[in-house]
Amino acid sequence: MSNLPASNNVTSKLQVRDLNFYYGKFHALKNIQLDVASHRVTAFIGPSGCGKSTLLRAFNRMYELYPGQHATGEIILDGENILSPRTDLFRLRARVGMVFQKPTPFPMSIYENIAFGVRLYEKLGKSAMDERVESALQQAALWGEVKDKLRQSGMSLSGGQQQRLCIARAIAVSPEVVLLDEPASALDPISTLKIEELIYELKKNYTLVIVTHNMQQAARVSDYTAFMYLGELVEFGNTNQIFTNPSKKQTEDYITGRYG
Amino acid sequence: MPSSTDRKAMDWRYFRRRAVNIVNLSGSVFATLFGLIWLFWILWTTFSAGIAAFDMSLFQQDTPAPGSEGGLANAIIGSLIMVGLATVIGTPIGILAGTYLAEYGKKTRVAGFIRFINDILLSAPSIIIGLFVYEIVVLQVGHFSALAGALALAVIMLPVIIRTTEEMLRLVPNPLREAALALGAPRWKMISLVAYRAAMSGILTGILLSVARIAGETAPLLFTALNNQFWSTDLTQPMANLPVVIFQFAMSPYESWHALAWAGSLLITLSVLALSILARVFLRKARMEH
Amino acid sequence: MEPIHTHISRQFNAELEDIRTRVLQMGGLVEEQIGRAISALVQGDTTMADAVATEDYKVNRMEVNIDEECSQIIARRQPAAGDLRLVVAVIKTITDLERIGDEAEKIARMATRLATEERPKNNYMEIQALGNHVRLMVHDALDAFARLDIEAAIRIAREDERVDSEYEGVMRQMITYMMEDPRTISRTLNVVWAARALERIGDHACNICEYIIYLVKGKDVRHTSLEQIEKEILGRS
Repeated sequence: MSNLPASNNVTSKLQVRDLNFYYGKFHALKNIQLDVASHRVTAFIGPSGCGKSTLLRAFNRMYELYPGQHATGEIILDGENILSPRTDLFRLRARVGMVFQKPTPFPMSIYENIAFGVRLYEKLGKSAMDERVESALQQAALWGEVKDKLRQSGMSLSGGQQQRLCIARAIAVSPEVVLLDEPASALDPISTLKIEELIYELKKNYTLVIVTHNMQQAARVSDYTAFMYLGELVEFGNTNQIFTNPSKKQTEDYITGRYG
Repeated sequence: MPSSTDRKAMDWRYFRRRAVNIVNLSGSVFATLFGLIWLFWILWTTFSAGIAAFDMSLFQQDTPAPGSEGGLANAIIGSLIMVGLATVIGTPIGILAGTYLAEYGKKTRVAGFIRFINDILLSAPSIIIGLFVYEIVVLQVGHFSALAGALALAVIMLPVIIRTTEEMLRLVPNPLREAALALGAPRWKMISLVAYRAAMSGILTGILLSVARIAGETAPLLFTALNNQFWSTDLTQPMANLPVVIFQFAMSPYESWHALAWAGSLLITLSVLALSILARVFLRKARMEH
Repeated sequence: MEPIHTHISRQFNAELEDIRTRVLQMGGLVEEQIGRAISALVQGDTTMADAVATEDYKVNRMEVNIDEECSQIIARRQPAAGDLRLVVAVIKTITDLERIGDEAEKIARMATRLATEERPKNNYMEIQALGNHVRLMVHDALDAFARLDIEAAIRIAREDERVDSEYEGVMRQMITYMMEDPRTISRTLNVVWAARALERIGDHACNICEYIIYLVKGKDVRHTSLEQIEKEILGRS
């Protein structure tokens, strides 16, 4: 179960081993074993409070911001345990980008929003930065819509555009993994479809992990699906298999709407 | 169908509800009017009395000796200098302290303690602050000074700025911070480049409101900057300022001084009004951004 | 599989329950059609044969209606896992039921033609036997569908092998008749067509059993040998 479902040409990018997570005394993740496949989309589904976001936020150690939260076990990114205290958090977050549920454009221009992250790691000249901004916006399928208003505030964009701006900002620093925490739950259906289309495009260059409440979305965008319940990984497998023939009853109940 | 007795009971209840509504509504309208009447009365008096002495000489001439012609030039510049200096001293300290509370201290005990002290300072009578600065500065140096005045004003504005900075930073949605940190930004960069920018108009509003608050303070200045009959920009010497001039001139038996006091009052009222309007504009901008 | 009544959306529940019920109703009608077609042939009853032929539209109409309801469920509910498999299995099952209906109609047409011919000495005993056999298969397949009984489904699928050999026996017999007395060729050919239709019905019943296995186990066992199926599904070797 810990290993990737049998499939050809897939290597694992992240390996989660015996991961336990605590909010103070509350045991939020229990012995999670899971492999995230390189250049694929892995979706985490499950009812609210099942730990899927917690697991996602362990991948870039976002939880460190809050006292009382800690993890034990290992999360191995290309052979290196990122939970080790020796891990350079800033470098980790450059390698593992994140996009949040609500669009979070910074209160600055579209251009600056993207340049912000790049400047943290690189000193680029004007033209090199221009190129980087354009390429990030191109990849996020936003360039066409904003190329004439790069100096406008990122907040002037529509919700869906803001979210694509956030994706562009995340990929501008050339991460290897992009974490998406319910990236479309605050968006209208058309914007949602655009984000989903984008996710499909992005897996050529990045490894993606998405948390979603929307099961159809997980079915549409992901290659692998992990169903979590009460802090445990109940079932992990090919998305096709999970959605047509899950092997666990709990998974079946959840995805057919019998959970409750 | 309800029977006729039911119908009667219903009618009665409806009538009662309407009666209670009318009584409460008229009560609250009356209370509002009662409050507003005083406000407009004050404004009207200030305006009508102040406008009489309002001319260019007000800005060109210094405060006069009794019986002679004069203006408020030295008091106006004195007030501007001291309020400006107080802002320069109070703002950075206030913003940094507010930042500590919102971004670093949060729910820690130290932060809670600071917040408590700050609340006390916020509601401390300004005369006590004047007395305090008198004690630690004026008495030590041996004479009144503009610097001491500015210091007293700064202490008064400090809690307001701390409070608004903290509140405004707290309004910045947490995911925005997480987004900056998730890019790998160090905390100080996140605060200075993202959180401040998001809270900027709110913080500016706080500063403007605190400036408005100290613009009319008299008591602390009585103990610190005192007054000066002459034009002076020397920070180490007593300095003229509008509130104290108004206080002295209004208490005097001279008709021309009374007129200048009203003009000064009008000047302060107008500047406070201007600051409030400006603050509102900023605040509206801040709300629209969130 | 989970009993359907635990669904959060009761409406969805009702819809799934409804298509199941309607498949069984359609199955009941088809079964009746087979029975009457065989009787019509064996007894030379042209009235009954005509009735079977005209009733076929009912089967077709049911297929269309159930298909429609399934499309609506897919469009509106996006069923997943077991629900999805139920809808898929229903769509496939009704196709086979409709074909069975067509075969029954074909048998009825043969019955009409044979009624004008001289009756054979054995009174179409071979058709009677083969017909009862496949009718029972269809009945059991529908029963297994209602109870989601995969053991029964496999047993019925196995039954098809026997139907096939029985059919071959009938064919050999018919060929013998035709060689003995070429004058009977046209009549015997009609019997051959009827037997052929019955054999096809057995195949369709067998298909339905495969859908039941897919529905319950999520495994597609079409184009798999029975031995393989038994090994995989029941864990027998």
